[in-house]
Amino acid sequence: MGCSSSLPDRASGRLSGLNSENGSVNDAKNLRVKLVLLGDSGVGKSCIVLRFVRGQFDPTSKVTIGASFLSQTIALQDSTTVKFEIWDTAGQERYAALAPLYYRGAAVAVVVYDITSPESFQKAQYWVKELQKHGSPDMVMALVGNKADLQENREVTVQDGIDYAEKNGMFFIETSAKTADNINQLFEEIAKRLPRPTPS
Amino acid sequence: MSSSDDDSASSGANSGPVLGSKPIEDGFSQLRVNDLANGSVNDDAAEGSGDREGVAVEVDEVEDGGSASARVGGTEIEEIGEARGMWRSNSEGEVEAQASPSSSGYAGERGSSSGGSGIGEEEDEIEEVRSDAGSDSQAAWMPGKRHVDEDDASISWRKRKKHFFILSHSGKPIYSRYGDEHKLAGFSATLQAIISFVENGGDRVKLVRAGKHQVVFLVKGPIYLVCISCTEEPYESLRGQLELIYGQMIVILTKSVNRCFEKNPKFDMTPLLGGTDVVFSSLIHSFSWNPATFLHAYTCLPLAYATRQAAGAVLQDIADSGVLFAILMCKHKVVSLVGAQKASLHPDDMLLLSNFVMSSESFRTSENFSPICLPRYNPMAFLYAYVHYLDVETYLMLLTTSSDAFYHLKDCRTRIETVLLKSNVLSEVQRSMLDGGMRVEDLPIDPLPRSGSLLPRLGQRRPFTDSQESLKEAYAGIGGPAGLWHFIYRSIYLDQYVASEFAPPFNTLRQQKRLYRAYQKMYASMHDKGVGPHKTQFRRDEHYVLLCWVTQDFELYAAFDPLADKGSAIKTCNRVCQWVKDVENEIFLLGASPFSW
Repeated sequence: MGCSSSLPDRASGRLSGLNSENGSVNDAKNLRVKLVLLGDSGVGKSCIVLRFVRGQFDPTSKVTIGASFLSQTIALQDSTTVKFEIWDTAGQERYAALAPLYYRGAAVAVVVYDITSPESFQKAQYWVKELQKHGSPDMVMALVGNKADLQENREVTVQDGIDYAEKNGMFFIETSAKTADNINQLFEEIAKRLPRPTPS
Repeated sequence: MSSSDDDSASSGANSGPVLGSKPIEDGFSQLRVNDLANGSVNDDAAEGSGDREGVAVEVDEVEDGGSASARVGGTEIEEIGEARGMWRSNSEGEVEAQASPSSSGYAGERGSSSGGSGIGEEEDEIEEVRSDAGSDSQAAWMPGKRHVDEDDASISWRKRKKHFFILSHSGKPIYSRYGDEHKLAGFSATLQAIISFVENGGDRVKLVRAGKHQVVFLVKGPIYLVCISCTEEPYESLRGQLELIYGQMIVILTKSVNRCFEKNPKFDMTPLLGGTDVVFSSLIHSFSWNPATFLHAYTCLPLAYATRQAAGAVLQDIADSGVLFAILMCKHKVVSLVGAQKASLHPDDMLLLSNFVMSSESFRTSENFSPICLPRYNPMAFLYAYVHYLDVETYLMLLTTSSDAFYHLKDCRTRIETVLLKSNVLSEVQRSMLDGGMRVEDLPIDPLPRSGSLLPRLGQRRPFTDSQESLKEAYAGIGGPAGLWHFIYRSIYLDQYVASEFAPPFNTLRQQKRLYRAYQKMYASMHDKGVGPHKTQFRRDEHYVLLCWVTQDFELYAAFDPLADKGSAIKTCNRVCQWVKDVENEIFLLGASPFSW
């Protein structure tokens, strides 16, 4: 269980040449999936990814440009491994029009908002609609309320998140990249929900 | 921009080949003519440029609008009165200025700049309040925007030596170097009013002088750029800096942002630039340390010829597989670069691209694939850049027109990285960064054998000869022969320059910046269309002797001890040119395809 610590990019370079655009390339035991993170700027997308991939948290915010690519492999209890190829997209408005470039063909979309910011929750709903319209229909979608450690500043209730996720057939979780709370759970839960290829 | 350089170089009388042994004296016979009667031209010799522009308002010749080019003599802005008015215009407005009115949550996302953190290390600090302590230290420059809580009512804001503004033609603020854009709406509107007042008269305002301050305007379609400065930099330099700031904006957004203004003249552009404060502040910072910003040339990391060749070869393979440009850089220095056939990369684009990459922390974290525009290549369209740091300072940029190319480029990077590691290019790069480049104290006294080498591990460093020792003694042990302290050599054909390492007495950032500004001034005066073009220039002031020499092939800027003898300074310049020629294999990227038009 948990993260097997593979080095993110160097190790993975060779594998990903040809088929990766298909979103998920699988044999029965080793899944490889393309995952995209979307959400308003400043909600902590990069922090979630860096916590998951490198176990780090950097409190100084670094604005993402375009999209960063990282990968991480986890092992599930049933001894399958899932390699996530993660597109951590920039939340800045100027990149919104380019988002399809990154979510096209993705098997998983993680839509993130900040529980202290209703605007970011609005923005998350915008992304969900956009994905429903333009994403692949069998995409696994997760709604993530980040910065759960900032309870005292909360402005989006857990129930609001749950309700919206349920209505849209999404999986919901609140996380804190800062305390690492629920970060691995998020990705493990996604991994469990992935459609498995039928063994031949 | 570089065309003006060619003009001045080719229109000269002594345009013979310069690096040969003979023409050098000829070149400098002219120097004696130019040299002013009293034998020393001090810092303000380039004054012509100052008064010439004056307050007069000129119609700009080359504008998108295609307005007729005529000089309208009558339109003048009365300097002091008017400009004061401008500076004071808002003083009664809001007196107190604290937290920004975070409209639309946008203010919250402004870059990684924690406002007001780096206090002292900044350049162009408030003029009276402080000048030595902080800027004299070697402390690293802090990225990001400072003093966000200021606005035009703040005394401190008004005392900043150099302001840059971007605003829209409807007067909406887009960027300000200091202070919160949102709070500068009134000030922006004032700037816009000045510009449109003059435009309504069928004219165009370029420069307003108000006491020590110069206000420089640049109009780019719906985007207005303004610099307000009391740094005494020449108008041409400041205008060039505005051009670069505009270019940086195009890198991020492309020129198609103009369409937003066509649809809605009151369009608010600030959200589109969200998080890019660091990019602009880092560019503005480079105006005071990076010669590329006024030379319009790039510089290479010194490397053995074979090493650079090895890097070039593997990049060329990649370029042949559909990559438009492949660029390997270490900090702001080029290791190697190649372009697809017929694709040429302008030095200014390289400057803006590398500034964008280096100033954005996000590129250091992981592989990145981002839309990016090269204004000189095609200002209307995005290219896609694969960016990856191979080590802490060395990064690879692969540019393509295809938005689907990520996995291909990722593969390319793996191949490149493997080759670079195998052929030790990366370790050579790191070693070169440690060793540094040309040092004035290593300037050979006698011509080297043709195959001279700069790099100590390739050609071993020569022990000092007697004559060298005695020369050094004569100049109090500082710098190179004949009191040579520093030089910049720019090769016109290669679009590249090489600068010697800073050595005593340029120990501090402040001294380096002063020298840099002096070079910049000299560059402007050498390329001044009104007075020049000049071939040579020799100036002496209390800080140094500056010598500049422009030919068809190169430009040399050299700084000497203020007591340096003119004759030996000239001889030394000849030797510098010869030295550069001898080691050009190592300090320049030769035969780079993008530049062989």
